[in-house]
Amino acid sequence: MRPLESLRLSWRSIRGHKLRSSLTTLGIVIGIAAVIAFVTLGASLQAGVIGDISPDDQRNVYGWAADPDTEGGPLAGAQPVFSQDDLDELESREEIDAAYGYMPISTQALVYEGELSPQSDALVAAGPTYIREDTLDEGRQFEQGEREAVINPAVAGQFEEDVEVGDEITVALQGGEQTSVTVVGITETSEGLSPFEGFEPSPRIYVPTDPYYTEDAAGDIPGGGDGGGTDGPGAGDDGGGGDGGDDEDADEQNDDGIGGGDGDGALFLAIVVEAPTADDDDVDAARESALAYLEGDDSDAGELLGDDLAVTLQTSAELLQQLEDVLSLLQNFIVGIAAISLLVGSIGIANIMLVSVTERTREIGIMKAVGAQNREILGLFLAEAVILGVVGAILGTVLGLVTGYLGVWYIDLPLVYPYEYVALAIVVGVVVGIASGLYPAWRAARTDPIDALRYE
Amino acid sequence: MATSESGSADGDGGSDSGDHDSGVGGRGSAVSLQNVRKTYQLGEPVHALDGVSLEIPRGSYTAIMGPSGSGKSTLMNLVGCLDTPTEGTVVVDGADVTTLDDRERTTLRGTTVGFVFQTFNLMPRLTALENVALPQLFQNVGRGERRERARELLERVGLADREDHLPNELSGGQRQRVALARALVNDPALVLADEPTGNLDTDTEDDILDLFADFHDAGTTMVVVTHERHVAERADRIVHLLDGKLERIERLDEETAGTRVRSSSSAGDEDGNENESGAER
Repeated sequence: MRPLESLRLSWRSIRGHKLRSSLTTLGIVIGIAAVIAFVTLGASLQAGVIGDISPDDQRNVYGWAADPDTEGGPLAGAQPVFSQDDLDELESREEIDAAYGYMPISTQALVYEGELSPQSDALVAAGPTYIREDTLDEGRQFEQGEREAVINPAVAGQFEEDVEVGDEITVALQGGEQTSVTVVGITETSEGLSPFEGFEPSPRIYVPTDPYYTEDAAGDIPGGGDGGGTDGPGAGDDGGGGDGGDDEDADEQNDDGIGGGDGDGALFLAIVVEAPTADDDDVDAARESALAYLEGDDSDAGELLGDDLAVTLQTSAELLQQLEDVLSLLQNFIVGIAAISLLVGSIGIANIMLVSVTERTREIGIMKAVGAQNREILGLFLAEAVILGVVGAILGTVLGLVTGYLGVWYIDLPLVYPYEYVALAIVVGVVVGIASGLYPAWRAARTDPIDALRYE
Repeated sequence: MATSESGSADGDGGSDSGDHDSGVGGRGSAVSLQNVRKTYQLGEPVHALDGVSLEIPRGSYTAIMGPSGSGKSTLMNLVGCLDTPTEGTVVVDGADVTTLDDRERTTLRGTTVGFVFQTFNLMPRLTALENVALPQLFQNVGRGERRERARELLERVGLADREDHLPNELSGGQRQRVALARALVNDPALVLADEPTGNLDTDTEDDILDLFADFHDAGTTMVVVTHERHVAERADRIVHLLDGKLERIERLDEETAGTRVRSSSSAGDEDGNENESGAER
């Protein structure tokens, strides 16, 4: 018998028992759907997160100082230890292209055209290259030493009238002090530009560390200890005071005027070190060079680290690896559950096929009497089981893709369909069909036609 | 013929199934049994058939009668290539069934024997046309050719207007007509009917037996297993079985049987009819 005829005949007997066949495939549908949905979610999450690592970002090494035992993502338990002097020294090194500080600054509100919008932690002070060219939708990077800012769309769209390049925004800092920025650029997305910010979309204004961090009120340094908060108001030029016990720095800072200073005394919570290229060797060289200096005795950071703190320097990819590890663990867990579902599903198919073989004993006898070979009977029942498996796999795939799509849409991630898993799902369907249909089909094939024709 | 060609194309069984068109060395028997014994081990050995020899000539119409347990079913299974004897030889359409393996026997059965059963045994989910075409499905005949052939036979059994009906939408007589059409679809060497009218009322029974006679007149070899005298009397001769042994052969219409000319393409026909009288005993 031709394979197509065999499939046609099998399909008809499946359609003869619609409800039974649908229920039988349910186990496969659920198993496959679970895998596809979670793999879609996982792949989309990865794309959403890793897609943010642009080629330019690959040469960046992100550093912070924290207790080595601290668990968690970037900046977990970070203490501000990096001074501008350290950064200048790093930048002068051969292996390092650029180095700048990173500092989130607490805010109270943003004011644009007289409209006030309450906003905390909206200000991020960093170096100009923190805003990479490819992340800019319009305008340009800010320049160090200027009262300029790059904003993200979440800030731009926050007011009644959209903020545009060239406009001025007033920022009310935590201490009650106000400062103004001129918007010179708008980024493409509102997601974080580096692992420091996280990847959640939120309104952010990026400003140069000079002058904004140097004039930032003391005590606004997150994780910077408890000392700063009290002397916040009225001590606007006392940058770096957040970390108690560093009088020398604080004294130095007092010499710098508002906006005029070079920020020597301010301590950054984190730093970004840029290697000359994204090449792994170059990145490693930059990292080692930076680490050697920062943990050495010559640097301000080295002095402040003491015995408790250690400097962590990692690339975006390395930082994301941790996230990916969690993701793949979750994915393996789901796949494990799905495998159980598939196993139960294939037992279901095997069971229903055995019932079907018994039920159709007489039909088998008829077919054998009129010249059906054993292998043709085997083929018929195997085809039936495979059809059940494949139909289950296809329905499961569709259900999984739809579920994955809804999930991705809900979390607002770029949709990535794992097509190789779709192909895999169909293969699994075929395998499950064969595995569960083989024994029943074999039983059908070896049915004695004489007995079968007598079977009531 | 299409059926035997595809049969022989089906691998090494071809030499056996190819024989039936040419006949074997002028032996005109559709079926030939020599000293056949079939023994079942049911605690002690039971001889369902005990040394039976029988020739069924081509183009003949044979009835097999006997009480329950006389070996009718066993004989039918052997003639129909469903079973093999414990001893002796069974030659169906020139092929020695005892030397064939299961696959070759199935091919022989599919191409040379047409079955008609008491309980019709149609496939419940296939239409009348598909039921008739079913044997050709297993001989790799193309769909179009299959349907054409099935339609032709349905017309001959008078069911041209019922081809799309399922078996449960047909009366008993109509179902048996479909079964007869199915038995004939591969142009078999013989049609083997097991109590073909056992589930039918008297009028329908006559219709079916008339149809059998028509196909017999057209040259088909018919073998009917029955325990009803008036059904058996439609045949040329009646083979009586008792306790697994051939009791006697009753000849009913020898002249007409002897003069019948087969219209189909078999080469050994005339020889077969000549030899008939001397074939048994």
